[in-house]
Amino acid sequence: MKGVKKLRGIEQLKNHYGHMFTLPWLIGIIIFFIIPLIQSVWYSFAKISVVENGIETKFIGIDNYKQILEADPNYTKWLSSGITSFFYTLPLIILVSMVLAMLLNQKFVGRLFFRALYFLPVIIASGVVMTLIFQTTSSDMGSMGVSDTYTSNMFSVNDIIGWLQVDGKVAEYVILVINKIFDLVWQSGIQTVLFLAGLQSIPSSLYEASKVEGATKWEEFWFITFPMLSQVTLLVAVFTMVEIMTNTRSTIISNIYKMMSSGVYDETSAMIWFYFLVGGGLMALVLFLYNRFLMKRWE
Amino acid sequence: MKIKNIIKNRAAAKNKIASRRYTRSKFGNFLNFFLLAAAGLFTMLPLIYAVCTSFKPLDELLIFPPRFFVKRPTLGNYLALPDLMASLKVPLSRYLFNSLMITAITVFIYIMVAAMAAFVLAKATFKGRNFLFWVVQFALMFNAYTLSVPQYLIFSKLHLIDTYWIYILPYMASTLGVFLLKQYIEGYIPNALLEAAKIDGASHYRIFWSVVMPVIKPAWLTLMLFSFRDVWSSVPNGTIFTEQLKTLPQIVSQITAGGTARAGSAMAVTVIMMIPPIIIYLISQSNVVEAMSSAGIKE
Repeated sequence: MKGVKKLRGIEQLKNHYGHMFTLPWLIGIIIFFIIPLIQSVWYSFAKISVVENGIETKFIGIDNYKQILEADPNYTKWLSSGITSFFYTLPLIILVSMVLAMLLNQKFVGRLFFRALYFLPVIIASGVVMTLIFQTTSSDMGSMGVSDTYTSNMFSVNDIIGWLQVDGKVAEYVILVINKIFDLVWQSGIQTVLFLAGLQSIPSSLYEASKVEGATKWEEFWFITFPMLSQVTLLVAVFTMVEIMTNTRSTIISNIYKMMSSGVYDETSAMIWFYFLVGGGLMALVLFLYNRFLMKRWE
Repeated sequence: MKIKNIIKNRAAAKNKIASRRYTRSKFGNFLNFFLLAAAGLFTMLPLIYAVCTSFKPLDELLIFPPRFFVKRPTLGNYLALPDLMASLKVPLSRYLFNSLMITAITVFIYIMVAAMAAFVLAKATFKGRNFLFWVVQFALMFNAYTLSVPQYLIFSKLHLIDTYWIYILPYMASTLGVFLLKQYIEGYIPNALLEAAKIDGASHYRIFWSVVMPVIKPAWLTLMLFSFRDVWSSVPNGTIFTEQLKTLPQIVSQITAGGTARAGSAMAVTVIMMIPPIIIYLISQSNVVEAMSSAGIKE
């Protein structure tokens, strides 16, 4: 009898304990996230001037937003480049990480080594180490017509010409392509691991059954692997979108940071908020399309 | 007649499978290996470059455009480190101690706070639960830097500037941790398990510590790896001034500020900085990748 009573009480008891368990996190998130967040919204509607002890804010309505969207020619340019890269990076990262995960999921010699290899960037590339690796040498590579990205720090056009016996234009193109592939593989680390975990949780009996039925590899992928991965794919998609949005190496974020460190807080707050509104809209759109057209099929 | 046909078809299908598997295992395996090796090379390039640069003598560092491989490797950059360190105001051991202590405490607090919050968010029903989870998802989109100005104001109001707390406390507002752990708890801890523990008379604290935490071990190990990586290499911007409170990454930044002449030493420090995260990864590796799928009770 007592047991039954306790069972019914679980929910109520949890109500009580629920608040206690979340307390440290709640305090943290309110102090270090929600309050700064509200302040940042306020800044985007205000004019900020630095005074002796701290800063002074004055409400000016949507003037900041007007300023960045109408008067500032750079912002719209950054924004559109951000949106474009969002649309081609997302599918590419998902594709690359899914293919890598499926390759890694097969049984072959040295797969543990390869798994570690692909996870390595995720482990070490953060903070100081990341910046140091990617900004080692001179940034005046730009004078050679090559954008200042990772590989141009490592290879020069001359190197490529020497190795591949091609002319300058082709070498520049090669560097550009290498950069892109590079970027993709480096950004796909966590995604690959998530997909790998998802692949391993698919029961092998499904594949055995399909083998008996004589399904081709393509059918196997399309009717077993892909549907079984739908949850993981969603997670990966969300994760990737967030990463693309907050990537500090993207044009828009790095430029906003540059402005911010030079002391412009009001306009940059507006820039960030507008960017997040657009980004949030894009994310919602992608998730809606995903649920509408892919998830529906498997229900 | 019918049965004979079926048997015949089965046999044919089996042969088909067998032949396909055979071709795949020869050519496919090679293709597999080739693709993985190619993508793996891309992953490794910056690391190889970093290691190469750390062994370059001064004249090779100054070559423009920079060369990828080192021609005459030297240990000079590493041997110069003790001298550089000796010129610091505080002994190196102090920085190392700070780094290790702060990382250990922060990672522990981070995981505990996130796990407790995630447990409640995943399994308890109370008012505002959905709202809280919505906050988490929303917060995921924010890069720490975005809120740095308002956050700085809060730090200074709480008198946290220039104390150890500045490293630790912001991690209480974890979002990625709560998100991942909540998903994991929902996926791997059936309500039946919690109810069983409840009936056996376990308290909430006991359930959390002896039932939930062991089951979600792969998830928090993964989280440990990520948070270790972040804390280990993070540089608090303009919040730490006392030399005794600084950590290793800040020393790295100071060394790098020495310009191209010190690029070699900076790379040497970078290579050294990479080692602890790799060790942590090697320790938790089997759990992070393999056990992500195998843990938990399947109903």
